[in-house]
Order: sequence, then C-alpha cells, then structure tokens
Amino acid sequence: MTAAAEARSSRILAAPSVYAGLAVVAVAALLTFPEWASGIEGSRYWESILRDVLVFGIYALSLDLLVGRAGMPSLGHAAFFGGGAYAAAISAARLGTDELVVTLTAAILVAAFLAVVIGVLSVRASGIFFLMLTLAFAQMVFALAFQWTDVTGGSNGFSAIRRPMAFGLDLNPADALYRTVVVVFAVVVLLLWWLHRSQYGRALVGVRENERRMRALGYDTVRLKLSAFVLAGALAGVAGALSTWSFRIVSANDVGLSRSVEAFVMVLIGGAGTLLGPIVGAGVVVYIDRVLSSSIPFSQTVLGLVFVVFVLAARQGIVGSMRSALARARR
Amino acid sequence: MSVAAAALAVSGLERRFGGIRAVDGVSFAIAAGERRAVIGPNGAGKTTLFNVLTGELAPTAGTVHLHGADVTGMRTWQLARRGLARMYQRNELFAALPARDNVALALAAAKGPYRASAAGAAEERREAMDLLGRVGLSGREAVAPRALSHGERRQLELAVTLAQRPSVLLLDEPTAGMSPAETAAITRLIGELDRSLTILVVEHDMDVVFRVADRITVLHEGKVIADGSPDEVRGDRVVHDVYLGKALEA
Amino acid sequence: MSPDLVLQQALNGISFGALLFILAAGLSLIFGMMDVVNLAHGAFYMLGAYITLKIVDVTQQFWPAIVVAPLALALLGLVLEPTLLRRLRGRHLDQVLLTIGVALVMADLIGLFWGREIRALPFPPGLDGSVVIAGNVYPIYRLFVIAFAIGLALLLAYLHRRTAVGALIRAGVDDAEMLSALGVDTDRLFAFTFAVGAGLAGLAGVIAAPAFGVHPGMDVEALIYSLIVVVVGGLGTLTGAAAGAGLVGPADTFGKTLFQEFALALIFAIMAVVLLARPSGLFGRIRISR
Repeated sequence: MTAAAEARSSRILAAPSVYAGLAVVAVAALLTFPEWASGIEGSRYWESILRDVLVFGIYALSLDLLVGRAGMPSLGHAAFFGGGAYAAAISAARLGTDELVVTLTAAILVAAFLAVVIGVLSVRASGIFFLMLTLAFAQMVFALAFQWTDVTGGSNGFSAIRRPMAFGLDLNPADALYRTVVVVFAVVVLLLWWLHRSQYGRALVGVRENERRMRALGYDTVRLKLSAFVLAGALAGVAGALSTWSFRIVSANDVGLSRSVEAFVMVLIGGAGTLLGPIVGAGVVVYIDRVLSSSIPFSQTVLGLVFVVFVLAARQGIVGSMRSALARARR
Repeated sequence: MSVAAAALAVSGLERRFGGIRAVDGVSFAIAAGERRAVIGPNGAGKTTLFNVLTGELAPTAGTVHLHGADVTGMRTWQLARRGLARMYQRNELFAALPARDNVALALAAAKGPYRASAAGAAEERREAMDLLGRVGLSGREAVAPRALSHGERRQLELAVTLAQRPSVLLLDEPTAGMSPAETAAITRLIGELDRSLTILVVEHDMDVVFRVADRITVLHEGKVIADGSPDEVRGDRVVHDVYLGKALEA
Repeated sequence: MSPDLVLQQALNGISFGALLFILAAGLSLIFGMMDVVNLAHGAFYMLGAYITLKIVDVTQQFWPAIVVAPLALALLGLVLEPTLLRRLRGRHLDQVLLTIGVALVMADLIGLFWGREIRALPFPPGLDGSVVIAGNVYPIYRLFVIAFAIGLALLLAYLHRRTAVGALIRAGVDDAEMLSALGVDTDRLFAFTFAVGAGLAGLAGVIAAPAFGVHPGMDVEALIYSLIVVVVGGLGTLTGAAAGAGLVGPADTFGKTLFQEFALALIFAIMAVVLLARPSGLFGRIRISR
C-alpha cells in the first residue's frame, strides 16, 4: 500500500460514522442470530453462550467505567451485580409482579443504593487502599446475602425463577429473552459511548491521569468519583438482573469475591479503557467458564494463568494491544 | 492594607507537623495586581505555605482571606473555583493526554463536568491552541507530557494554570530545572501577564525575583523575617545574614 | 447475656483475635516493605491448612505441620517473588492484580488435589482437653492459640527491633528506594520479606486447621478477615495488625452471639467509624486525599 492510500484507509477506519455503521450491523446480526443460525448444529447452546457474553459484557463495561476510565480499581463490583440479581428476584416475588420495568427498576435502585453506601466510605481512598476497601465492603454484602435467610433464601438463594414480561411480551422463551438482552446491551453500549465522549467522561479520565491536578483545577473529584461509582453500580445491577433471568437462579455466588474477580479479569484481559475490550474479555471468560470447564476440571487454573500472563506481558489487554500495534504500524 | 481590600491575605497562619511548626504565625496581605515573591532558604516553609494556601493542607491556626472572603480550611477545588491557581514546582500534568487536552480540562473546569455534551468543545480547542501558542508550544499540541522535554513541560504547566483564568496565581519555582534561555523566556512570559492578575511567586533564582516582584516577603524557619520592596529587602541586614548574602554570592 | 457467657465469649473473641493477628501480621509485613497487598494471602493460609491435613492424615501427628507447612509456604514465596512480582517492580497495583491470579490458580489446584469437601481435624494430643475457668468449660486449644500468638508477637517485635534484618525491614518500610541507593540488595530483601509473609500465612493455616477444619472458600474468608484487620488497625505496622486483630476478633465473636445473622453489621460499623474518623486506620501510614 502506498503511504497515501494507507493514510486514507486509516482515516476511514478512524471515522466515527464507520464505527457507528459497524455497530449497527453487529447489533442487527446479534438480534437475528436465532434466525440465521437456526440451521447450525447446537445453535440453541451457542445462543445461550452469546446471551451470557452480552450479560457479562454489560457487567464488565460497568466495571471498566471505574477501572479503565476513572482509574478506580474496584474489587467489589459483585456487590452491585448480586444486589441487582437478588433485587430482580425478590421484588418479583414480594410485589407479585412480573413486569420487567418494575423489577429492573428495583434492581437498579438496590444496586445504586449499595453503591452509594460503599462509595461514600471508599472513594476518598485511591489505588490499592481503594481496592481493599471495595473488596472488604462487598464481602459484607456477600455475608448479608448468605446469612439473611428470610429475605435472600440463604446459601440456596432462589431457583426456578420465572422470567418477566416486557411490554406484554413473555420473556420465558429463550429467543425472547435473548433478544431483550441484545437490546439492553445495545442501549448500555450506546449510553457508555456517549458518556465517554462527554465532558463527564473526559473529567473521569482526568481523575485517572492526575487527581491532584483535577482538584487544583476546581473539580470536586470526590463527588466525581462517587457519581461514577454509583453509575457503575447501577449498570452492574442491570447485568445482575439479566443474569437472574438468564440462569433463573440467584445465589450468594453472585455477590461473592470470585464474581468481582471475574469482572476485573474480563476488563483486564479485554483491555481497560476501551469500549470493545470488556466485551471481548467477557467472551474469553464466559468461554473458559462455560465451554472449557465442561472438558477440563481445572478451568479456573487456566483462567488464573491467562490473567497472570496478561498482567505480566500484555497489561493493555487484547484490544488495547491490538490498538497499539495498529498505531505502530501506521507510523 | 485591610484584609477586605487585599486579593490574598493571611493572618497568624500556622501549620504544625507533630512538634515542628513548618509555617509559624505568618501574616501578609497582597494587593490586587501586585507581584509578590516569597524567598527563603530551603526548609523555610515556602512549599508548606503554598500547600496551605491551596487547601492541600489544612492550617492548624490562622486565617486565609481571598478577595476579602474567609476561605480558611476550604478544599482545593473550592479555592480553585474562587480564582486561585497554582503552577506546581513538580509538574502535575495529565501524563498520557495530549498537551491540548491538558489545557482543555483546565478550560472546561469552570463549567463543571456535568455537561451532557462536549458543547463548546471547538471553542475550547481554539482557546487551548492560543494558550499553547502563547507559552511557546505551537506545533506541540498533540504531544503528551511524557514525550515533552522538561522545559516544554514547564511551559505546559504554566499554560494549564493560566487556562484556569485565575485572579490569584501561585507560582511555585517557575524556573526550576530550566536552562538560562528557558528561564529568560518564562520570566518574560510572567512579566507580560495581565497586570490585573495577582501573583505570588516562590523562586530561588534571585535575578528572576528582582525582575518580577513588586514586593518581597522573606521566610525563615516558618516565620516572616522581612517584608518590603526589593530594594528594602536587598538592604536588610538580617536577610543578608540568614539568606541573601549566600544566595547572592553563590 | 449472663456474666458467664460474657467471659466465655470474651475468651473466644480474644482467641479468634489471636489467630487473626497471626494471619494479618504476614499481610501487613509484605505491605509495609513492598507496598503490595498480597491477595493470595488467603490462598497461602488455605494451603497451610491443607498441608496440615495431609500431615495429620499420613503421620497421625500434628506437630510436624507447624514446622513443615510454614517452611513450604515460605519456599513458595521465595519462588513466586522473583519469578512474578519482581517483573513488575514499582507497579504496585499490577503486583496486587498478579496476586489475584495466583490466588485463583492456588485455590483451584487445592480443590483439585484435595477434593472439595469440608474436613475436620482433631485437636493435637495434649491440647484436646478442656479446663474450667470461672465455672465455664473451656477448650485448651483456644488458650494455646492465645499463648502462641502472644509468643509470636513478642518474637516478631524482638526480631523487628533488635536484629539486623529487622532494621533493614524498618528502613524499607520508610523508604525502599533509599535502601537500594545505600547498596542494600533489595531483591533479596523483598524475596525474604515475601517468604516470611507467606510463611506466616501458612502458620496461621496450621493453627486454624484443628479449630475450624478445612474447606473450599476458607481462603476468601481468611483474606477478608485479614483485610478488615489491617484496614481497621492500619496497614504496614505490627502494632496496627495487633490492634486491628484485638478489636475485630472480639467484635466478631460478640456480634455473632448478639446479632446472629447480622454479626458482620457490627464489623461493618467498626470499619466505617474507623474509616470516617481515621481514614488511614488506627496505626496506619497511608495518606488519604482531602
């Protein structure tokens, strides 16, 4: 390729409209997966895998708002995922409703409330200390879920949960739920895309790069970080509610440390601070957890080793590394 | 000068660390548009004084007034909102962001982060370019601080500080680590700043101090030992003994 | 609560606090020296407990474990520090992330090797009886844990204050860069510190095994408790670990008696109060932004 042609192609690649077009095609392909994949063997199975990737993709994206953008390494994100998951199940049972609007709102509110409580106590700390605090506080939510048997069902949690109705559409059939997940996923990605380009998103990156200077410039960084923490918590709550309906089970595992670690692993493997990275990371982790684990008994060891390798050798993650390689190639 | 009339006034300001009084009963008032230098040997308490003035440290006693309002104990971001800006001695930049984004974050600060879109971004961009041009960084807008030279980083540090459109400017050793040519350039820049701007500068280079300052405050072991015009301070016997003699001979 | 119960619970609480001290001391030591929160600390503890199980199963003896398990963990630390952590020297957060991976792998392999059932261990012979204190029957082993922790605390304090290695560690806590500028071999010092910290985690596992048994998930429990202890007490100092353990152990025990399922609410409240009043912990040295 000549230098001029190369420059032109990189300009085309960098144009926002190209990305928007690709995104629209991707969402359309995802929405129609049940149709065009119906002939493929095991398409039902792969549809459920795809659904899980999207659910955990939302979860990972919500954590990336903290880890990748604002530079807040939270290791307690499962508190909000699990909070949303429980809230979706409990609100449906207690309120006797199966309206998605009601139960999803309950999930968001509960997750956001937990994030306010934990956030107020942790966002003033930074780095490793912040990580420790979020971990410890999230574990208290875990203990609550585990021990408050009357409300949470204790260690068993809830199973055989009915899927909700969305605007008259019954989500119990797998395809209907799958499509709902795709729609919610697309909305969340769009929201985050817009957020990262807004002044708010820029300010979060400023906090990541140099919080002291941000304060000196007149930004109330504590409020900024708290708002990001609550927003990320609310989005994790959405992912939690979707997981409740996907798996039709909620248990203390959804609030546990390994769930928090999972999100962190997804973000880091995929690439922190990118929109695509956490989704790719969710794909890798779901693959290891659901596909690989059925053929080998030590899939968690594989996950741990993969994570160690990325931390040691490719801290930018898959998408981040590819992006750097592309930038180098262009130069 | 009354506290109400001063742009920046401190009274009986004290900051203790355990048993040590790093700033010990400091009082002074700076008029609007005045250029004041604070000098003193290492460990005199200059940096602690700046950290207290910017709210990064809370004072253990005394008061700070900014444009007549009591701002004692306010947080850094609140003081910044009231027109106080600081050029750090050790650059505090956004290391991975291009120079123009460094400036843009400062320009956008006044409007706050809770804006739906990056509205006015084009204007902010143009303003950022202007400012970078003024400090001599034309053509370096897309370069991140970690790829800039030390001198360029100091220039960017100044640009970020100016982008806050402050009324009171604290300069913490603006020429630290600079070559003679860079020092001359930044001294000229400071001299050319709008006369309505109140400036408090800590500086070791006496040439710069005497060129820039209308008035000099001398700090020694946390206390003010002299305060006056450059000529008065130059002739002060005590100042000569503890500090200036050495600095001028060196 | 009757006075009898209060006394009994107080002893239980102190005994649990004593175990927490052994556990948190290693975590705190590593942080103090290397600025790394070792999130594999719980997994190290777990391995210590499972090695104890193995030794008891094979030899029918407990006491060899108290030497073998800490040594094995120290050896593991001695291998892990240079091969993994050292590559990320100066990138503390990445080092912490690395220990997450190590914890994942270890917990999974332990489950694979030993199975995933809950196992109980007998109290060691000689410590399996009970004594009567003020009318209460009380297991001797719990008193042993208290005595052991006090002995260990005194030993550690002595090593820390009076020996050459202790002096290096104290200096390192203040400024590792300075140490290296003075020509101290920080590579060896860090490897040694990490090994001692891992060994202490293993030791805590040995001591805990007869009291609590072994089970999957014990790594996370131990990690959380030790984190709470150092958050409350303050990271990086022995005094902080002792103070945090002394507060959290009894609080947890009384909480469980008084509030049953909401015992952790009490711990949460303590953590919240300490954080709001003294963000760096009771004896900590971390600076928190204003």
